[in-house]
Amino acid sequence: MTPVLEVDSIRTRLGGQLLHDGVGFKVNRGEIVALIGGSGTGKTVLLRECIGLLRPTEGRIRLLGEDLWTLAPADLDALRCRFGVLFQEGALFSSLTVAENVGAPLREHTGLRVGLRDEVVAMKIRLAGLPAEAAHKRPAELSGGMKKRAALARALALEPEMLFLDEPTSGLDPISARAFDELLRTLCDSLGLTALLTTHDLDTLWGLVDRVVVLHDGRVIADGPVPEVARVDHDWIRSYFSAHVQEKRNGNGIGG
Amino acid sequence: MTASGPFSLEQTATGWELRLFGDWRLANLAGLDAALAGHAWPEGGGLGLDGSALTGLDSAGLMLIHNRLKEAGIAWSTLALSGFDPERQALIRLVVDRLSAAAPEKKPRRGFIAGIGHGVSQAWRELPGMLTLLGQISEGLVDLVRRPASFRMREFFVQLSAVCIGALPIVAMMTFLIGVVFAYLLGIQIEKYGANIFIVDGVSLAIARELSPMLVAILVAGRSGAAFTAQIGAMKVTEEIDAIATLGLSPVKVLVLPRLLAIVVAMPLLAFFGDLMGVLGAAVIAASQLDITFHTFFMRMHDVLPFSTVTYGLSKTPAFAVAIAFIACRNGFAVSRDARSVGERTTATVVASLMAVIMINALFAILDPSLK
Repeated sequence: MTPVLEVDSIRTRLGGQLLHDGVGFKVNRGEIVALIGGSGTGKTVLLRECIGLLRPTEGRIRLLGEDLWTLAPADLDALRCRFGVLFQEGALFSSLTVAENVGAPLREHTGLRVGLRDEVVAMKIRLAGLPAEAAHKRPAELSGGMKKRAALARALALEPEMLFLDEPTSGLDPISARAFDELLRTLCDSLGLTALLTTHDLDTLWGLVDRVVVLHDGRVIADGPVPEVARVDHDWIRSYFSAHVQEKRNGNGIGG
Repeated sequence: MTASGPFSLEQTATGWELRLFGDWRLANLAGLDAALAGHAWPEGGGLGLDGSALTGLDSAGLMLIHNRLKEAGIAWSTLALSGFDPERQALIRLVVDRLSAAAPEKKPRRGFIAGIGHGVSQAWRELPGMLTLLGQISEGLVDLVRRPASFRMREFFVQLSAVCIGALPIVAMMTFLIGVVFAYLLGIQIEKYGANIFIVDGVSLAIARELSPMLVAILVAGRSGAAFTAQIGAMKVTEEIDAIATLGLSPVKVLVLPRLLAIVVAMPLLAFFGDLMGVLGAAVIAASQLDITFHTFFMRMHDVLPFSTVTYGLSKTPAFAVAIAFIACRNGFAVSRDARSVGERTTATVVASLMAVIMINALFAILDPSLK
């Protein structure tokens, strides 16, 4: 398998504090990989370094065959058309409707005539599982789950090869969150996407991802399929996964 | 078989076979669309779709062939697919399934007449909100008279400082310079008749009666009116207004009344300050260009400027202030929960309050008994 993303010995110093001290992992084609870690371990920072928003202090990131931080600005922009990003709050343009949001990257980067562009936009909106009437609403009129779907439709607009998702299910109720996980799985499998996501949601971890990378104290302390990582003997990992067991037990208690 | 275009259509023993060639992806979509445009498709079913010669296929390319066949009356389910590998079959299943869902409707475009109608009905819909705020302000004022202790002194003085003291430098500069320009232009004319001393009559009347109150009102509308709308609007966006209400406080009493009273108190003070600075600017020009000393200037002003003219000018300003504060607060509360709305409402505040100030000024001029 060919790695789509290679993160190699990344060191990040932010505000005088060493956030990452030699972080490295790979994401292979077609995989969905989750980045987990306690609050403040720099998951989101690492994600921002992978998408070219924040330069790491040291280290190398190879994305889609390109050495991200040695690219000229124009080449970096070209590379950016090949991956999609879903920001935590959706980051939809609040002055545009959903359809205009999804159409924005198409308008900027393809020379499609308006009618054809509208067809592509309508298809992407339905791919993301949004109801037809959502297309002409503004982001402020959408629920949290719909916002995420609209943002996903925009991230998919340019037929990306890779998706980056920052906390895709945060702020969603459990039912919407599972539905969103399912949507991601379907899209990744059918469109042949590779995905890297950060999450706090244990159900996403068990239900969606192929592999999990655990960040702790500026290093990767575990990297592997979820059941394997859950068995790793490490304080933080044990308490992280036992929180899940606790949650399940409580859930069963109420249910029974 | 010719493979010149992105596809070929040929007759086989069982019917027709549509073969796709090359790269059917978003990057080539415009070219593919042009190649498909106006192509005739065989009727009567039995169409096969062969994807073995494809080098690339994504959801956009797939959507294109799906939609074009559909427009020609060929349902996807009647196609016999061949030569697609499992990955592409998964893509086809997903995209075709999602395309069968209801398509978003085209946004209806409004014509010119419909646009006017929409604008009028939008404006009409503002009315209940404005009346509600007017009622709430009146109720708040009545309550204030009954229980003066409930007045938010702190917020009032914060606002008074922002509206009044913060505006002093710019008011001073504006009215001083207008006094200078006015006296200079009037002086050129007046000098021709040797009537230099009458500069005092003209300048003091104009500044005290019209120029200073109007300039100050325009300045306050742009400066404080816009600030009120942006402050209240930003609080609306971050749900702070709702938080105030759930704490059992009245947003009108907490936010609107202190601002309204601050601006009503500040405006006459600023206008009087504007009177002084404007006259000072005129006196400087009179002394330097028209040989009228400061002493002569102010003695003459004492004789020709009745006190009632000054009070008339100042009496207009609380009316301006009420209009500006009301429009600004109303627009602040009308902000909806997105970033663009704050900007739109702030613009609306400045435009509407300038119009209101000019109309109120005209009304005062018409109704003034001293001119009849």
